Amino acid sequence: MTGGPGRDSSASTATPFPEELLSGYLDGALTQQEEQQVRLHLERSPEARAMLDELAALRQAARSTPFVPIEDRQWSEAPRTRASAIAMRLGIVLLALCGLGLVIGVVWQASHAPFGTEMKRGMIWWAAGLWVSGLGGALLVFLSVLGDRLSDRRHDRYRRVLK
Amino acid sequence: MDVNGSHSCLGLIETPRPAALVGGLSIDSTLVQRAREGDASAREELARVSGDAAFRFALQLLGDRELARDVAQDSVLRLFSSLRRVDPERPLQPWLFSIVRNRVIDLRRRALSRGERGAALPSRAAAGDAGELPHDPPDAGPGPFERSERGELQRLMWSCLGRLERAHREILVLRDYQDLSYREIAEVLAVPLGTVMSRLHAARRKLRAEVLATGYRFGGGS
Repeated sequence: MTGGPGRDSSASTATPFPEELLSGYLDGALTQQEEQQVRLHLERSPEARAMLDELAALRQAARSTPFVPIEDRQWSEAPRTRASAIAMRLGIVLLALCGLGLVIGVVWQASHAPFGTEMKRGMIWWAAGLWVSGLGGALLVFLSVLGDRLSDRRHDRYRRVLK
Repeated sequence: MDVNGSHSCLGLIETPRPAALVGGLSIDSTLVQRAREGDASAREELARVSGDAAFRFALQLLGDRELARDVAQDSVLRLFSSLRRVDPERPLQPWLFSIVRNRVIDLRRRALSRGERGAALPSRAAAGDAGELPHDPPDAGPGPFERSERGELQRLMWSCLGRLERAHREILVLRDYQDLSYREIAEVLAVPLGTVMSRLHAARRKLRAEVLATGYRFGGGS
């Protein structure tokens, strides 16, 4: 410590030392005369030297602190609407069901061929189910993405910036 | 001690800053001029670099990445909406930072009016007593704070910064994190040049006291 601002511990009768000059000295923002004043003060005051060292360490730590810029995708990331999020989830579930049904159907068909009339009717229903779930899922995903894009377009804050 | 050069802090003064970490906004005047004339690539480039700088500054003031992103987006928009008034020959950074600072102040006012003080800005109360960061660290990825004494000090400073009053935090960020000159700081804060040094020193003293209060000892860690 320097004994408080404006106080020179080694020469209490001398002109008070303006302690903020230490920061100016650290930043190279002083006039030659002020620099000389600081140097003289530092020669006399170990407390001032210690403080200068500590302030310099703080400044150096601040200057070397890394700050990673935000990623581009984060700039344009907009929260989904509730409807869009539900449509996307439902669409993915339907597409997954369609894929699963397709695999099961192929395996089942391979193990039960040849089919009777009843079997064939069942297979038609099965295929219809696959079509409905597949198309429905794809449509929901498409609508969800389309909704997001339209929403982004309406709320794009950079639209005027980037033209 | 040889006050002319062998003092340890003098070596720190002269240490060049790694280019990747420089917070300064290096925009040449032709880019601004081209952006003003409507050059799409120049506008895009200007939006990118000013957005990065605005985000970093806002993050350092707010300590919250989401809020900082919103503030940066608004600030870049405002920058572009008044681009025609910009003098391409003058540094852009103080002007951009003034916009960011005003947006942060607006945000604070709005949060205060809604009674969300702790939610809007890191405060002493939000910092807690357990030594936890009051807000996200600058980078969640590996290696932002090396396991070294300097890394420990960086982490402590980041934490303590959130406990300082706004005026002190602002000036510390502008000088020590963003490396603005005293003249540029005076421009951003709209204060006389003579006020900068005294306020900055008071802020540094306060930050030092906060760091020491955590038990950290300079030269020896905590």
